[in-house]
Amino acid sequence: MSTVLSPATGLSGIVDHGAASGSSGAPWVRSLRAAALDAHRELGVPTTRHEEWKYTPLRRLVERDWAAGEPGPAVFQRELPRYDEGSIRIVLVNGRFDRNLSETEARSPHWVARSLRDAVTEDDAVVREWLGQVGPKTTQAVGREITPDSHTFAELNTATFEDGLFLHITGDVAALIEIVHVATGDGQAFAPRVLVVAEEGARARIVETYVTDGEGATFTYPVTEVVVKEGANLEHVRVQDEGAEAFHIANWQTTQAAGSEYHSFNVCYGAGLARVDQGIWLDGQATVTRLDGVVCAGGDQHIDNHTRLDHAQPNSNSFEVYKQIVDDRATVVFNGKIFVHQDAQKTDAKQTNQALLLSPTATIDSKPQLEIFADDVKCTHGATVGQLEDLPLFYMRSRGVPKDQAEAVLVYAFAAEVLELITHVGLRQALERRLYEKLGVDLGA
Amino acid sequence: MLQIANLHAKVAEDEREILKGLTLSVKPGEVHAIMGPNGSGKSTLANVIAGRETYEVTDGAVTLDGEDLLEMEPDERAHKGVFLAFQYPVEIPGVSNTYFLRAALNARRKANGEDEMDALAFMKHIREKVKTLGLTDDMLSRSVNEGFSGGEKKRNEIFQMAVLEPRLCVLDETDSGLDIDALQTVAHGVNALRSPDRAFIVVTHYQRLLNFIVPDFVHVLMDGRLVKSGGKELALELEAKGYGWLEAEVGATA
Ligand SMILES: Nc1ncnc2c1ncn2[C@@H]1O[C@H](COP(=O)(O)OP(=O)(O)OP(=O)(O)O)[C@@H](O)[C@H]1O
Ligand SMILES: [Mg+2]
Repeated sequence: MSTVLSPATGLSGIVDHGAASGSSGAPWVRSLRAAALDAHRELGVPTTRHEEWKYTPLRRLVERDWAAGEPGPAVFQRELPRYDEGSIRIVLVNGRFDRNLSETEARSPHWVARSLRDAVTEDDAVVREWLGQVGPKTTQAVGREITPDSHTFAELNTATFEDGLFLHITGDVAALIEIVHVATGDGQAFAPRVLVVAEEGARARIVETYVTDGEGATFTYPVTEVVVKEGANLEHVRVQDEGAEAFHIANWQTTQAAGSEYHSFNVCYGAGLARVDQGIWLDGQATVTRLDGVVCAGGDQHIDNHTRLDHAQPNSNSFEVYKQIVDDRATVVFNGKIFVHQDAQKTDAKQTNQALLLSPTATIDSKPQLEIFADDVKCTHGATVGQLEDLPLFYMRSRGVPKDQAEAVLVYAFAAEVLELITHVGLRQALERRLYEKLGVDLGA
Repeated sequence: MLQIANLHAKVAEDEREILKGLTLSVKPGEVHAIMGPNGSGKSTLANVIAGRETYEVTDGAVTLDGEDLLEMEPDERAHKGVFLAFQYPVEIPGVSNTYFLRAALNARRKANGEDEMDALAFMKHIREKVKTLGLTDDMLSRSVNEGFSGGEKKRNEIFQMAVLEPRLCVLDETDSGLDIDALQTVAHGVNALRSPDRAFIVVTHYQRLLNFIVPDFVHVLMDGRLVKSGGKELALELEAKGYGWLEAEVGATA
């Protein structure tokens, strides 16, 4: 009974490429990459017999032969997303930092955005300290050990990434920071890598958007690492809106220090098959965390989100709300783990996940998973699965609102509880418009 | 304007008939009051007129200006001028009152080939009505009926009616649960809408409302049929005697 797809799969082209190119750079990078390559090779590509991949078969992914992604074009068929004319925009094309499309001259002394490849080549001390280091640590708990999860695609990213973004936030950044990831090229695989370090007391709003350009299947396996230091405050919106043929398997890790706030939003609209593993490691007291998600899947989409929150220190609050809309033959998976470690007394953790099924052939698999090793804590979770209610729909229609629009409004209202928490108005409205678009309703003005 | 002939209706997945051959004719400008015991079918009638899919019409006809109403979707009926003020107004979390109302108004305008109203024109259109019905700005920006008190919900129904200016207004127990002042406010809102080309069907349990909204006809609905009709004095008689004597009367003729 193997939990790994074997023998060598459609990913071997990428792995070999990583093995060949991983031998440059400072010794620490080389050993980081070599260890990651070994880890990926050992972990392989999981089958659905693997507990963490039970509902997400990867057969369709490994059936194809993927080539290591080439650099992308300078012009695109589509318009790249932009939520705010006054924002700081960084564009990564096929995982590579694009100097022409990105703003690199800092307008204020409070931030630096640069190519991760350059930062690694120049052996930047902050990058050296944090790259590949963000995530849970092993701790001892009553009678057992709490260990980090393995992430075979994160390892693959570490072993193979070409470039990426290093974003260093050292003060209060007023402008929205937009990071746009564009992937293009049929049959190609990309490993965008982002490292965000917010220094003590820093403040910023970031939105990362993943899109594809043109026809064809792409495979994107990004890793984003976020370090939120003492008293820093970050709002981080992640939008995955890739094309219907795309595969997207992401790892997103955050470490929060004492007194920090991190509000994260995982917005999943796109890709044929998408999986995000998001982890937040609460490594200081008195932190506040939001870990919210909005998922809208239709057609034959398969969207899987695994979240993991580690309360490792006392006196921290976390709130997690997932709103998931599933239509047509789509499948949505949600797994929400919360670990309250032995030291994490006075933890207050609240998790809610709700799904709205809009068609009889839509599927949702959700699993909350609370593991509590401290005794003085408040932890709650709730999950609901429902359909659009008949009465509000009739009420709206009886006032003249057409059926499609009434349905879309009700579905939107369902998701709004999360979208409304996004503080940047332009961004929030763009995500709302996109949701209506996905629901097939043109609201006019 | 509205013709209901021999209407039979039941709950879709149920066998038992609720409306058992109901006939009613409403002309423009008229106000018809419908009274009757709990469970006699008043709300069912109101919902059938508005097009609620829970109910299945098994026989009979309902027409509005000669057009078959039963063939129309609920939103189409609204576009033709039908309005139902719900006995239990529905809460819609996450949808603001003004957004909802403007969407409703514009959907009807669009269906009738009129221009849509922008947010500014809309605010102008509703300003006067907001005042008349004593609504607060807060109630306008809040989610539809969410957290509204019983009386606020009813006032909101009449407010929506005033904004949408329907031709056939069906009020299902809009007076229930209102305090004396609110009752007057609501009645005033309704009376302000009375006009020669608009008709009302007012379902109520209390003669009191009919002091404020004076009906042209009062009908008694019992066990799925209109068993007695008369002028506004019938309401006083019912108030004094209850429904028992009618049961005997109907029973005797059945
Ligand atoms: N959706 C439904 N499902 C099952 N039974 C129903 C439904 N709607 C109405 N009924 C039944 O039909 C009958 C008539 O109900 P209706 O609500 O029309 O009465 P009503 O005259 O409005 O009463 P009230 O004065 O209490 O408002 C009742 O026996 C009720 O239980
Ligand atoms: Mg009733």
